[in-house]
Amino acid sequence: MHEYAFFLGCIAPNRYPGCEAAAIRTSRNVGIELLPLKGASCCPAPGAFGAVDLRVWYAMAARNICLAEEMGKDITLICNGCYKSIYEVNERLKEDDELRDEANEVLAEIDMEFKGSVDVYHLAELYYDPKVCGVEKIRESVVRPLDGTKIAVHYGCHLLKPLKERRFTNSENPMWIEELVDALGAEAVQYRNKMQCCGAGGGVRGFDLAHSLDITNEKMINIAEAGADALTEVCPFCQLQFDRGQVEIKDKFGIEWGLPVLHYNELLGLAQGMSPQELALDLHAIDCKPFLDKIL
Amino acid sequence: MAKGYNDPAMEEKFQDRYFHATTETNPEFIKEIERLGRTHAHMCFQCGTCTGSCPSAPRSSYRIRKFMRRAVLGLEKEALTDPDLWLCTTCYSCADRCPRDIAPTDVIMAMRNLAFKEDIVPRNFLKTIQLIYKTGHGVPNNDANRAARLKLGLEAEPETTHKYPEFIPGIQKILDHYDMKETADRILSEGEQ
Repeated sequence: MHEYAFFLGCIAPNRYPGCEAAAIRTSRNVGIELLPLKGASCCPAPGAFGAVDLRVWYAMAARNICLAEEMGKDITLICNGCYKSIYEVNERLKEDDELRDEANEVLAEIDMEFKGSVDVYHLAELYYDPKVCGVEKIRESVVRPLDGTKIAVHYGCHLLKPLKERRFTNSENPMWIEELVDALGAEAVQYRNKMQCCGAGGGVRGFDLAHSLDITNEKMINIAEAGADALTEVCPFCQLQFDRGQVEIKDKFGIEWGLPVLHYNELLGLAQGMSPQELALDLHAIDCKPFLDKIL
Repeated sequence: MAKGYNDPAMEEKFQDRYFHATTETNPEFIKEIERLGRTHAHMCFQCGTCTGSCPSAPRSSYRIRKFMRRAVLGLEKEALTDPDLWLCTTCYSCADRCPRDIAPTDVIMAMRNLAFKEDIVPRNFLKTIQLIYKTGHGVPNNDANRAARLKLGLEAEPETTHKYPEFIPGIQKILDHYDMKETADRILSEGEQ
């Protein structure tokens, strides 16, 4: 069993708890144990917090990392926004003495110190890594193949970009999450401008909702063109933007897409035999039933 | 100052091709941006790959290339008071494609930091600060979600500051160190008057 400190973030536990429940159960089935990271806070949101004061962003993220250092466990998480904050701050503070000293000066006020002793991974990245799990193990864990379904993949921005600050090799047309989707028996479909942003980030969702939804709507046009039955992503904030966003798009623009949106962990949960109730799919703004009818 | 031509006729003809520094120009602006953004913004040669990669550009007047130029020219006030500054979704497509290896997104983030120092910031950012100060979360738990969590076999409160509120004073200390809560409260209350 590989053990990791599970950084929850905000939107997964507080809006889509099915993502949290699914992550814990599906990971256990492939040999990854997610341990609670007690007392963690918001990552903090890279767009909302980094935008106002980067120093606070470093210090707040460093506090979360310190909690895992005290456990002596590497961190894993299921949200791209959290990934940017926790991964990037961890790497930068390890490399840059000046930044680390400044963060530690603040952390000293609460008796904490960033040591740089743990690493940070996105859970999807661990699923793909054969040293930890790998596509084969994901395939072997499937008891209810998602046969006959077409699924579009949204990678999200902060998982892969900026690429030079990531351990990935391709941010223009990556295919590894498609491999993870294909392993569930589904067919991952390609669509135009796959790597485009969901539109939510950088505080834009809160600042100018119509602008943000217009970006989302462009993605919906391209995904519909590919004939997808569902959209999958690895970021609850992207999920919120696509799921609740479709309701807002209908209100504001009068366009109805009705495309079910599922976090990869929810999809994996379905493939491993979890019921829609166990995944709280009823909390989704867009009814998942058309998709569920194809697999149940 | 821009270098001139020896020929007065040429000098006259190309006069408007130069940038003439004015009192509106702050030569420290680019240095601050490079320090905060940790990217060599002065290397920008205005190719426009950033704007071409930008998901916000096709649906607004936001042009990240323009902000890059303002950074290099020191047009601080013009950059910080332009509301388009807040239309960057921070997708970093421009950063991955920039042929000069600059991260224009981080230039925008640095400009937003500088704008915040001048009290220029959209209200939604301040509300997030207030929520994190109070609960530790930018998107806190609610009753409907607590009920859903219990049905899933999870505890009503996640293993975060929600379940362990004893960690919240520490978070408040960090935020107070930078006067975040005070600033957010002040700007929001000024806006209500």
